[in-house]
Amino acid sequence: MNIKTTVKYRRSRLNEAISGYLFYLPFGVVYLAFLVYPIFRGLLLSFYKWNVLETPIFIGWGNYRVMASDSTFWLSLKNTLYFTGVSTPLLIVIGLAMAVALNVKFRGQQFFRALFFSTYVLSISVVATIWLWLYQPQFGLINYYLTRIFHIAPPSWLADTHLAMNSIIIVTIWWTAGFNIVLFLAGLQEIPQSLYEAARIDGAGGWQSFWYITLPSLRYTILLVVVLQVIASFQIFGQVYIMTQGGPYGRTRVLVQYIYENAFNYFKMGYAAAMAFVLFLIMAFFSSLQFRLFAPTKLGKKGK
Amino acid sequence: MKFWLFMVSLSIIALIFITPMVWMLITSFKLEGRTITFPIQWIPRPFSLQSYRNLFERAPIIIRWLFNSLVTSSLTTLLVIVIDAPAAYALSRLRFAGRNFLFIFTLAGLMVPFQVIVIPLYLMINKLGLVNTYMGLILPRLAIPLGVFILRQFFMGIPVELEEAAILDGCSRFRVFYNIILPLSGPALSAVAIFTFIGTWNDFLWPLIIASREKMFTLSVGLASLQGTYQVKYAMLMAASVIASTPILIAFIIFQKRIIQGVTMTGLKE
Repeated sequence: MNIKTTVKYRRSRLNEAISGYLFYLPFGVVYLAFLVYPIFRGLLLSFYKWNVLETPIFIGWGNYRVMASDSTFWLSLKNTLYFTGVSTPLLIVIGLAMAVALNVKFRGQQFFRALFFSTYVLSISVVATIWLWLYQPQFGLINYYLTRIFHIAPPSWLADTHLAMNSIIIVTIWWTAGFNIVLFLAGLQEIPQSLYEAARIDGAGGWQSFWYITLPSLRYTILLVVVLQVIASFQIFGQVYIMTQGGPYGRTRVLVQYIYENAFNYFKMGYAAAMAFVLFLIMAFFSSLQFRLFAPTKLGKKGK
Repeated sequence: MKFWLFMVSLSIIALIFITPMVWMLITSFKLEGRTITFPIQWIPRPFSLQSYRNLFERAPIIIRWLFNSLVTSSLTTLLVIVIDAPAAYALSRLRFAGRNFLFIFTLAGLMVPFQVIVIPLYLMINKLGLVNTYMGLILPRLAIPLGVFILRQFFMGIPVELEEAAILDGCSRFRVFYNIILPLSGPALSAVAIFTFIGTWNDFLWPLIIASREKMFTLSVGLASLQGTYQVKYAMLMAASVIASTPILIAFIIFQKRIIQGVTMTGLKE
């Protein structure tokens, strides 16, 4: 390499770098101004004690120390972890299975796709209200038919300590499966048909095609869905707040609800901010785990 | 034979899946107070349009709310695509110093619950004089990095060879982005458009905080304000949600066509 090609090489790398920053810039500006800055202001509060009426008092790690011995915090964390741990695999598997099914070409494909996605367009108050009624022990639809067909005692879906969180999980799956289905469908669309044809010619069956073609090709999509799913699950709030208010006996109270209560009911802004920061760290930890699992090379940049 | 089995199973699952929403529709045609009956009424007797009529009486303001929701959702969706796609391209393909950090930095924005930033954000929007304006509703939603992350993952799934061929032919990065990457990303872009539209449409907390004048309510806030303060009017709530959900369902059906259009990767034999 002589000096001319070195300079040309350096200049094109510089061009690429400048392009990179320019492409990111419009989003970057909005992001910094309207998300990052408020987050910093919000999280900085975690080192203060602030009840909104008085000026904030600096207390260093005080909030975090209190948190460590706060049993409600730990229970809320446990509930959140349970919710995430159970709902995530279910939503991934169901989402993928449904997407594969809905990718098959048949008449009415569009209709079925719209149908399975339709629940996602509902707003949270509607979802919660519908299911509150469905789960009603005496008059709800579910127990109405359950007792008539199977002659069992009507389960108390939202008041039974063992059932409550699982009932919420069912509602969440029903509500949000469509999101994963759409993402998986988009990922399936990226796979060239020629791969499947070649496999068929070579005698591969349906399951083998799925395992050796579909799954590897969906690598980036699966990572996307899993990361988003975990992040969203950790932040669950609405359904629980409306349907059980965290009961029975705090068995369904999730972390965001406890944060909300501390901020807007008890006016412990600093404490709420500290918990939010801890939640953030937990999510960051799990996200990095997922990147390592599904895309072992540097942050999943396989091939580039 | 196998296909028939497939269709039957799918239909059964679909039927169970759709029951709650069918119930929502049925309830909206019942009389207020007669929504919970024993035994269960699958067909409303009497069949009543009372809830819809009540809502229709408030039609002018409801149309205004509908308009607000349409404007904010559409504008937000459009702007999100316009700023997120290039950013996603930069994070997935372009090589530059600090790219990894920038990606983590972008992803981190998804991990903070909205309750934490809502107060600082409001103070800021207030200082900018954007309370009760469309921009005040839209700007914070533009900062959500969901679209960037989704598009980045999909761009990474597009074979590098396509771009490299174009670059060898002398295309600028922007042309590669505009003429090659974007057309191949139909399904992913549609997905982002749908999620952004729905997310903005159903957003409740932020529009509630930012709009103090009834004229600036979005549909979700407005419909909630119609509810009685002491008891839930089930029939009206269901009717209102039927009205609120129908536009998005239509929007989905429109965008959904793009998801069907498969990507045919001709010209590149793997």
